[in-house]
Amino acid sequence: MSIEHPTKLVPRAPEPERPKRDWRALAVRVGFVILLIVIWQIVASAKIVPPYLFPGPMKVGAVLAEKVQYDIDLLKKAINSNTPPQPEQPSLAISILKSMGRMGIGYGSSVIGGLILGVLLARSWILKQTVGTVILSLQSLPSICWLPFALIWFGIDDKAILAVVILGAMFSIAISTEGAIRNIPPIYLKVGRTLGARNFTLAKDILFFAALPELFGGLKVGWTFAWRSLMAAELVRPDSLGVGQLLDSGRQYNDMPLMLVAVFTILTIGITVDLLVFGRIEKSIRLRWGLER
Amino acid sequence: MEINFNNVSKSFVRKRNGQEERFVALRPTTFTVRSGEFFSIIGPSGCGKSTLLNLLAGLETADQGSVEVDGRRVDHPGSDRTVVFQEHGLMPWMTVSRNVEYGLKLKGIGAQERRETAMQYLRMVHLSRFADALPHQLSGGMRQRVAIARSLALQPSVLLMDEPFSALDAQTRDLLHDELQRIWAETKTTIVFVTHNIREAAYLSDRILTMTGPPGGIKRIVNVPFAHPRAKSSPELSTFTAELHQEIKDEVDRVAMQELDADWNPLTSPKRPPRDVVAPGEGI
Ligand SMILES: Nc1ncnc2c1ncn2[C@@H]1O[C@H](COP(=O)(O)OP(=O)(O)OP(=O)(O)O)[C@@H](O)[C@H]1O
Ligand SMILES: [Mg+2]
Repeated sequence: MSIEHPTKLVPRAPEPERPKRDWRALAVRVGFVILLIVIWQIVASAKIVPPYLFPGPMKVGAVLAEKVQYDIDLLKKAINSNTPPQPEQPSLAISILKSMGRMGIGYGSSVIGGLILGVLLARSWILKQTVGTVILSLQSLPSICWLPFALIWFGIDDKAILAVVILGAMFSIAISTEGAIRNIPPIYLKVGRTLGARNFTLAKDILFFAALPELFGGLKVGWTFAWRSLMAAELVRPDSLGVGQLLDSGRQYNDMPLMLVAVFTILTIGITVDLLVFGRIEKSIRLRWGLER
Repeated sequence: MEINFNNVSKSFVRKRNGQEERFVALRPTTFTVRSGEFFSIIGPSGCGKSTLLNLLAGLETADQGSVEVDGRRVDHPGSDRTVVFQEHGLMPWMTVSRNVEYGLKLKGIGAQERRETAMQYLRMVHLSRFADALPHQLSGGMRQRVAIARSLALQPSVLLMDEPFSALDAQTRDLLHDELQRIWAETKTTIVFVTHNIREAAYLSDRILTMTGPPGGIKRIVNVPFAHPRAKSSPELSTFTAELHQEIKDEVDRVAMQELDADWNPLTSPKRPPRDVVAPGEGI
């Protein structure tokens, strides 16, 4: 061929860049939280409201330390005597384990059920019109409203709480999964087919990944739903032993610092999972897919 | 390798004003593409160019008639007829190299050989340096070149291209024209090329199929009487392009008049944007 190719004219792709940590933003955020805590302490120290109604951060911190110490002692005793720990008062660690265990089972089942249901809704017109419509309407019912039913059906049992969690998260995951599948750009389907992918291979290699960013967004929202449902259920149901119940036992003992410790625990778990687990994975998917830089 | 369209027609069912109606996208069509030929298809928007290409790709099935490649009837998509679409359609989660390798993987070719083949075709489009980059790190023109490499790596008996360069800027397009010319000469692959750009068709093709419609159908096949490689600026090519342009423009005007007449009925559709006059059915 006589046509010279001007290779030098070919534009260079930018080097894959690592997202830099924004230290300034981090400093501002942390600084603001510290400021809030300081103001909180000042207001509490002014004793405008009696301390048992509005304890300061120092008091809450002390109770938190007490709780942590109590759990450490409990663990030591359990190890020395080789028996399961027997707490005489609400234990922070056991509450967290209990709640996370329920999340594992409840959210795990919601993910499996929701994904399957979502795929079926996306594939079957008749299911979408029938089951899909029912699911969509049930979505507007706050999942805690299921608790009275669940209590009658399953009794005072973990199953009742799990039912509320699953009903809270599964439908939401199913609906977002269906949406993610419907929103797959048709070009990937055409490209996949012309490259020779068919049926299951097409679904597993192409459709799944094409839907993944939106799919994962749905799973993240599902986690939030599950977590909120769990807290509501634990709060309402006595003897549930979870973090939600820790909050309610604070109320029973009129122990405002304990209630605040429970709230911070709930917040911490929420933030950790939401931002550090789901947020990170979501971010790395979006970076890889080129949806953000 | 020869492509035969024998009396092929295609219609779609679509909704208009809430009523389902059968819409003819391609009237019975017969023509032949020769082995190793650069064959372009031009015609007004909505005349069934993509439909024709999709039938050949096996992405659509004909209502009647048969499409044959090398004497074998086309009834499903296959890696012997790969397609480069207007949108590059690169899988964003795969590296450039993985994108090119994917079709080979489906063919059961081992990792080592796959990678080598991919590199060979990436070199052909001058992108071997970007083998491990992600698609979103490339420019539009580079992505389209990867899509070309991906299609060629499967060594198809025919490469189908549906307006592959129309989303690119003029400079990049010029560059890719030359690159495609060179690749075509190197690989001797038969290319069926759909475009709106008459100059592009005249510059690249051996023969050009002009279409009319809608309802879509073929008008005639034009020989491009110049040897390859051609100079884009040659006066002969310009004259040839201008004549072809006039022919297509007459066709577009005729269709527009018809559509306008049909639209004059205030009962069916009182007001439609002028764009729709030229591109009926778009956006349905
Ligand atoms: N899947 C489909 N369902 C219904 N109608 C369709 C479908 N695909 C194409 N059509 C119709 O068939 C006609 C021909 O479409 P086609 O895409 O082949 O046109 P085209 O010549 O490629 O147009 P353009 O130049 O705008 O790409 C159009 O009127 C279009 O609306
Ligand atoms: Mg088209």
